[in-house]
Order: sequence, then structure tokens, then C-alpha cells
Amino acid sequence: MSVETATPKPVGRRSSDVVREAFSKYGLILVLLALPVYLGLSDLAKDGSLTQLGNNLVLGLSNGAIYALIALGYTLVYGIIELINFAHGEVFMIGSFVAFGLWGTIGLTLTTGPLGIALGLIVSLLLAMVVCGVLNVMIERVAYKPLRNAPKLAPLITAIGFSFILQNVGILWLGSSPASVPDLIDSQRVLFDIGGVNIHRGDVLAIAVTIPLVFLLTAFIGRSRLGKAMRATAQDPDAARLMGINVNTTISMTFLLGGMLAGAAGLINLLYQTSIWYFQGFTAGLIAFTAAVMGGIGNLKGAVLGGIIIGCIQQLADNRIGAQWTTAVVFAYLVLIMVFRPQGLIGEVTREAG
Amino acid sequence: MTNAQEFVRDHRNLVGAVAALSIAAILPLFMDPLSTITHNCILAGAYVVMALGLNIVVGFAGLLDLGYVAFYAFGSYTVGWFASDHFSTVNGGKGIHVVAGEFAAKLPGIHLNFLLIILVAILITGIAGMLIGLPTLRLRGDYIAIVTLAFGEIVYRFAVNGDQITLAKGATLTGGRQAISPIDSIGLPGFKEFDSAISLRAYYWFVLVLVAVVLFVNFRLRDSRLGRAWIAIREDEVAAASMGVPLVRTKLMAYATGAAFGGISGAFLGSYLTSVNAGQFQFGFSIFILAMIILGGLGSIWGVAFGAILLSFINTYFIPDVFNGVPHKLGLDFDLTVLNFGIFGFLILIVMVLRPQGLFPERRRALELTEGVTADSTFEVHAP
Amino acid sequence: MSAPAASPPAASGGGNRPTLLATEQISKTFGGLVAVNDVSFAIPEHSIVSIIGPNGAGKTTFFNMLTGLYKPSIGRIVFDGQDISRTRPDQITALGIARTFQNIRLFATMSAVENVMVGQHARMRAGLIGSILRPPRVGREERDVRAKAHEMLSYVGLAERVHGELAVNLAYGDQRRVEIARALASEPRLLLLDEPTAGMNPQESDQLTQFMRRLRDERNLTILLIEHDMKVVMGVSERITVLDHGEKIAEGDPVDVRANPVVVEAYLGKQG
Repeated sequence: MSVETATPKPVGRRSSDVVREAFSKYGLILVLLALPVYLGLSDLAKDGSLTQLGNNLVLGLSNGAIYALIALGYTLVYGIIELINFAHGEVFMIGSFVAFGLWGTIGLTLTTGPLGIALGLIVSLLLAMVVCGVLNVMIERVAYKPLRNAPKLAPLITAIGFSFILQNVGILWLGSSPASVPDLIDSQRVLFDIGGVNIHRGDVLAIAVTIPLVFLLTAFIGRSRLGKAMRATAQDPDAARLMGINVNTTISMTFLLGGMLAGAAGLINLLYQTSIWYFQGFTAGLIAFTAAVMGGIGNLKGAVLGGIIIGCIQQLADNRIGAQWTTAVVFAYLVLIMVFRPQGLIGEVTREAG
Repeated sequence: MTNAQEFVRDHRNLVGAVAALSIAAILPLFMDPLSTITHNCILAGAYVVMALGLNIVVGFAGLLDLGYVAFYAFGSYTVGWFASDHFSTVNGGKGIHVVAGEFAAKLPGIHLNFLLIILVAILITGIAGMLIGLPTLRLRGDYIAIVTLAFGEIVYRFAVNGDQITLAKGATLTGGRQAISPIDSIGLPGFKEFDSAISLRAYYWFVLVLVAVVLFVNFRLRDSRLGRAWIAIREDEVAAASMGVPLVRTKLMAYATGAAFGGISGAFLGSYLTSVNAGQFQFGFSIFILAMIILGGLGSIWGVAFGAILLSFINTYFIPDVFNGVPHKLGLDFDLTVLNFGIFGFLILIVMVLRPQGLFPERRRALELTEGVTADSTFEVHAP
Repeated sequence: MSAPAASPPAASGGGNRPTLLATEQISKTFGGLVAVNDVSFAIPEHSIVSIIGPNGAGKTTFFNMLTGLYKPSIGRIVFDGQDISRTRPDQITALGIARTFQNIRLFATMSAVENVMVGQHARMRAGLIGSILRPPRVGREERDVRAKAHEMLSYVGLAERVHGELAVNLAYGDQRRVEIARALASEPRLLLLDEPTAGMNPQESDQLTQFMRRLRDERNLTILLIEHDMKVVMGVSERITVLDHGEKIAEGDPVDVRANPVVVEAYLGKQG
């Protein structure tokens, strides 16, 4: 080897590193598949049919859509400032409250005609998205921006404070017990029946709203100037600044987008679960965060993938183990991922070590 | 300077502690034995112990633990398991008694003397602390927060659903949402058994002793090899390791020690309140304790103690009694106690934004939180 | 004499001094980037050797592997006969390797004395219970450690009145001194200094050069230096190793290395 070699020669990685990497990735996939596979097999053994599992998975997919939207918010913010937005779950909750509040104000009830409902829902979707987007930006301005140079503990703690304030806003608004919400779209009406597996209106709605939003988001991030600025800032904020990108505005815009998605999720949740509760953001937020981490924090596709997977796990746990254990199951997965594969399924490292 | 003045100057903390505790010790004598103020003081004392425990983890070692309520739970369930009739079928219905109080000595179930309970609680929570801390060792700050929060929730779930988990012939893990009750009162060898129906003073003085011990341990640790190692880790983990500080062991020690305080206080509260029910162990409690150390001054022993007392009284006295009339005067109709956590959240927010070093900061921490004086640690990153 | 680039450990400039530390063809890869490539290197005991090279040559990555912050992707590191390739940083310190950092990494909210006391962590024995109860043995240990810290700070030339000053309040030069004192506190056999003269004026650099010789002679230390200041490097090194793009391109005594065309080219780029 002589000094004429200008380009670095590729040096093989230790085989043990490669093995470990593959092991943890497929290990995680195995662990994730374990539950549904086990349940599927025991179903087949018991009744000879997979319809219950199928129904679980359909519901899981629709739930997952909601979690995916929330997870996208976490992942967008984490990608750009490498911090978890602790108050994000509460932003989702406020989205539900805002939409519900609007229904009350404009008199959207079960007796309103279908056209009225459709228009009303579109308006409440837009309103929820706008309010939550602005709320998220406000959180960034108060909790994250002024503490950018403080130790990492500081903005987290401030966001927690914010989260509790928002929860109490919810309590003030609608009390501390869950309240029921009019089933405006008749969400339980079965639209399709595929071999015993039911697909309801609510499921279709959840997917129908989520897919276009995800596509819009991906297109926006991939093609628009702001999207490029976001990606650049996520990779290397100093370089981005040197290129003339206004990093502060870019960060705020990221929070705005994340908040809007959470707002949309809030509306879908209203229609899908037909209930509203000040505490729903805490649980949904943590579950969605687990989804973001499972997919790979910082990775948009990962957030969607993680959302779907977690939605299914949650549904299976609700239905088969018992709803009182669901959060414990999901959090056990969270801990497992954090320990054995913190980069998630398809995660990437956004910034190199110094 | 006279010898006495020199002594005071060199032993400021000791003198201050003795003075404060002496005053605190005679206070209940001026009040009715069952006065509510004494009750609130006892709660405040128990929270001081917990806050000082969390201060070791978050304030000294810099590990943001959001699941501290888990140790409260373990401590309380220690006394729920081993000082009550919860395991009533043990020993053929006759129970196991180890230096138990005269009243409890005839009851079924396991009844250990409270001093033994403290030892058991320290053991259980110390191990729990290490188990909870173990997965967080290679994670960065916010991930540590999430993982500890997740653990706190998992423990809560087991507490709530524990009445469905059977351990053996008729004994469940916990009482679930129904309290394990009654819990034995504290009976110390040589003293009459405490009876909170007659007088709260015994419990009050006992918690003062706990506070004194915990303050002592904190001051000793802070100015020791271990305390310096914790602060070094908090400042710059990479430099600390390069100077010979073993990261894993040292962090686990922080978790275990902090947890043990939570366990001791939890056991005490379980006995004092004579009941342990799962509803006490929700996430909000972790934030309640966290708010105490933020308000008082993260890392500052006196600050945290004061913050704990202040927030405890806000919770038990100011909100329910003093300010409860406010919403009504504003024309709103709700109970202010419902907004407890919103108020704490607001306090946290205000403090972090306006005065992050808290009310009574330690000089060094003030620097760190106000001017961002700290190294950013980077370590080997897993390449995908 | 310029040694060929990739070769078995070159034991030069000292004849029969034993090798204290040796790397055997170590490489480090981050994802797709090769930071250090096939470097074999040996440090004779009680010597002062330097590593130089243009920016980005991989010098600090190399250091980080020696101190356990990075594990070599390929190859072995042997210290005093022991394989330390996969040893933790705190264990490596306990074995007798100490370092300073390119960007000063003092514990900012601790005083100079406390910083140096942390440096002695590996040489102290007090545990959790001992720290709480403080039996006489522990009390004595604390006093001794504190006294030793003061002594160390004075040895590196820090004025006594600032020993108790918070590290962040010290002048830059003093902070560098404290860092060295902290490293010395762990009683190392091998001291790694990462660009210790950065930000120093010529007099200060001179003082540091003399100080390094004192350390070698008075405290039986072996010193490995990363430096950019050529005057210091040429003045104090018994042997110089040159890295470029992660590879060893030259090694030898100062006179030879300075004249080596390969080295000149690496620094100045190809001429003509």
C-alpha cells in the first residue's frame, strides 16, 4: 500500500458486527410476529378459521393509521432537533377536543343530513389541523427554542409541564371522565365482508384520510423547498445555516407539520372511537412514540410502518390478552426495542458521532 | 474568629440541619395531636425523602427518571405484603410474625417489624432500581426518560391488575384498586406502638428521623468519591469514563440509591395511611416529585428539601383550602383540586423558562442551567 | 530512514527499551468511512513520541481507540503485554493510560481541585457504604486525595489561589494545566496528549515542552503526543509517526521525517 492511494480502501467489517446487526433486526421481526402467529395458530387449532385474527388485524390497521399520523409528528421533530416532543400526545388530544367543540358550535349532530356531515367534518378536520399545528409551534417557541443551549433535560421537562397544562385544559373543557361522541359516520357499519372478516366504515375512513396525508407529506418533504430545508437541517444544522437556510423557521415549520398531522389524527379518533377523554393523549402519545421508535426514529416510512405494527399489537392485546394489560404489553415492546435495537426496523442515524 | 464561629462556618450544613429539625420537632407540641397541619407535615416529610432520592438520580447523576412512582409502589407494597393480613393463608392461617406489634401479633398474614420492613424495602427497591436502570445505560437523556416512564407504567399496570394475578392458594399479587388494608402501624422496640387514631405525633417524629437520616446520607454522598463520579457523569460521560469512572456500575448505584429512598418513604406512607391501593401509583406522581426538585433547585440538597415541602403544602393545603374559592369567585364551577397537575405543570414550565436553576440552586448547577455550560457528550454510535 | 508505511511495529529510536504499547494493523470504519486504515505502531517505554498529520488524518480516532472510546474494527492493541482492544475506557485508565482532550473537557461546574480528585477515581477504594458512613479509612482517603490534588495542580503550575476556582472560570492556559493534572492524577504509565499546545503562545509551548521532559524523567512517564506545532514536535519527540488519510505514511526520528518528501507532500499537496 503506497501513498498514491488517494481514496480510502474499503475495509471489511468485522463479521461479528454484521451478524449482530442481522440478528437484532430479524430478532425484532421475530418477536413482533410471535404474538400474531401464535394467536393465528391457536385459532386454527381451536375453530379452524382465521377470521378472528383477520378482524383483529383490520382493526389494528385502522388504529395503526391514527398512530402512524401521531408517530410522524414525533419522528419529524426528532429528526430535526433530536428531541422527543413530550407534549405531542396532548396536541393530538386537543385536536379531538377542538373538532368536537366545533361540532357543538355548528350543531353537527346525528340528525344533520349527509351533506352537512361531510362538510362539517371537512371543516373540523381543517380546523383541528390548523389549531394543532399552531399549538405545536407555540410549544416549540416556549419550551424548546429558548432552551436550545441548555442541557437536554431542560426542554424535556418544560414539555412535560406543557403536557400537564394541556391535560388540565381538557379536564376543564369536558371533565375528567371519558365522554361519548355522536357516531356521525356510523362507524360500525360493515362495508365489506371478506370471508368473515369485517371492514367497517370507520376503518375505511381512517385509512382514507391517512393515506393521502402521508403521500402529501412525503411529496412535500421530498420536493418542496421547505422540505429540502427540513432534510438539510436534520442532517447538519450548521451546514444548513451556512447554505442560507433559516434554521429557526425550518424547525418551526416542522413542528407545524407535525402538529397538523396530530390534529388530523385527533379528528379521526373522534369518529373512530366515538369517545373523547382528556387522558387519551397520554396513552396514545406513548403508544405512537413506541411506533416511531419501532420503525426507526427520524424515518418517515418507519413511523408509518411502526404505527401499523403497533396498532395491530395493541388490538391483539386488547382483544386477546385483556385491555387492562395492553399498555403494559406495548411498553414492554418499547423497552425491548430500546435495549436491543434502538434504531428500530429501518432506522438510520441522522447525525454522525463527533 | 472564635472556635464556635469557626465550627459553624465549617459545618454549615450540619448546624443548619440540626437547627431546622429541632424547630420542626417541637412544632407538633403546640398543636392538637390529630391536627391536620401535623398530617400535612408528615406527608411533606415523606415527600422530602422521595424528592431527595430522585435528586440523586436526576440532580446528581443527570439521569432523567420519569418512573419514580414505581419505587413508591414497591415500597408501599413491601409494607402491604409483609405488614398486613394480605397473605392471610400463610402458615395455615396463623401467619408469620417477626417482632410484630401486639395488635398484629394475633392476626393472620405476614407481619414484620417496621424496621425489618425498611430493610426489605431497601432491598426490593434497590434491586428494582437497578433492573429499571439497566436498559437505560447506553441511552441518551430523552430516551432514558421514556424508558423509565414506560417502566413506571408497567409497574402501575401490575399494581392495578395485581388482584387478578394469583400467587398461590388464595393470595393475589396486590389488592388492585381495592386497598390492601389495614396495614400495621409502626411498632419500634422499646416504644409503644404508634396509633394514628390517637395521636399523629409519633409518626411525625419518625418521619423527621427519616428526613434527618436521608439528609445526612445525601450530604455524605455528595462530597464523596461516588458523588463526584455522579456529577462527572452528568457533566461529561465520556470524559468521566476516560478518567476511570466505571459508567455502568456508577449509574446503577445512582438508580439503586435513589430508588431505596423511594422505597423507604413508600413503606412509611403505606403504614401511616394504613392502606395501599393501586390508584396511588399513577404517572402523575412521578411528575409531582420531579416538580419538587425542579422548583427547589435541581441538584441542590437544601433546595430540593424546600421544594418538596413547598409543593407538598401547595398540594395538600393551598389548593384545596386556600385557593379553592378562586374558581367560584371567577364564576367558574369546578373543584380546584382537579387541576392539581395542571398547576404543577405550569410551575414546572415557569421555572424552567424563567429560572431553571430553581429557587435555591447550588452555585454550580446555576451556572450549568443558565449558561448552558456543559460538554456535549458523544460516544460510539451504532452505524446501521 | 523512513520506514515503509504498512509494516510490523517499528521499534525505533531507543534500541532495547521495551515496548509499552503496540497496535497491530488496526483499522476503524464508521459506516462507509474508513478513518484509520491498517496502522501498526509501537511506543517504547519512557519515550516521548508524536503523531502528526494533516487535518482529518485520523489522529484523534487513533487516540480514541487507544483509550477505549472506540473499538478497532480490525486489529489488536496491546498494552504492557495485555490485549486492550475491547477494554472499557475506565478499565484502560485503571491499567495506566491517561489522556487529555483536543477540546478541553473539564467538568465545568466542579472546581479545579475536584476535577483532579475525579481523576483519582480509579485509585480510590471508597464505595457506597464507605461514602455514607465515612469510617476513618475513608476519611483519610478523602484527605489524602484532596491533598494530592492540590499537589498535582501546583506541579503543573496552577497558582494556589485558583485551586478552588470553578473550572469554567479559569483562564484557557490554566484549564489546560488542570486537564493535564487530572490525567496525571490517575498515576498513569502512558500519557496521551491531544494537541496540548493548541491556543498557546511560543513561551507557553516552550514551557510545556520542558514540562513533558520533566514528566518523562521525574515521573517515569511515557508520552504520546498529537501535535500541529512543528517546533514543539521537532523539539521534544524522540520519534515521529505521520498519518494521512488514516494510514501511516512515514515514521522515524525528527530529522528524517522532516526531510521526507512523502511527508512534505502530504502537508503541502503535490507540487507541480
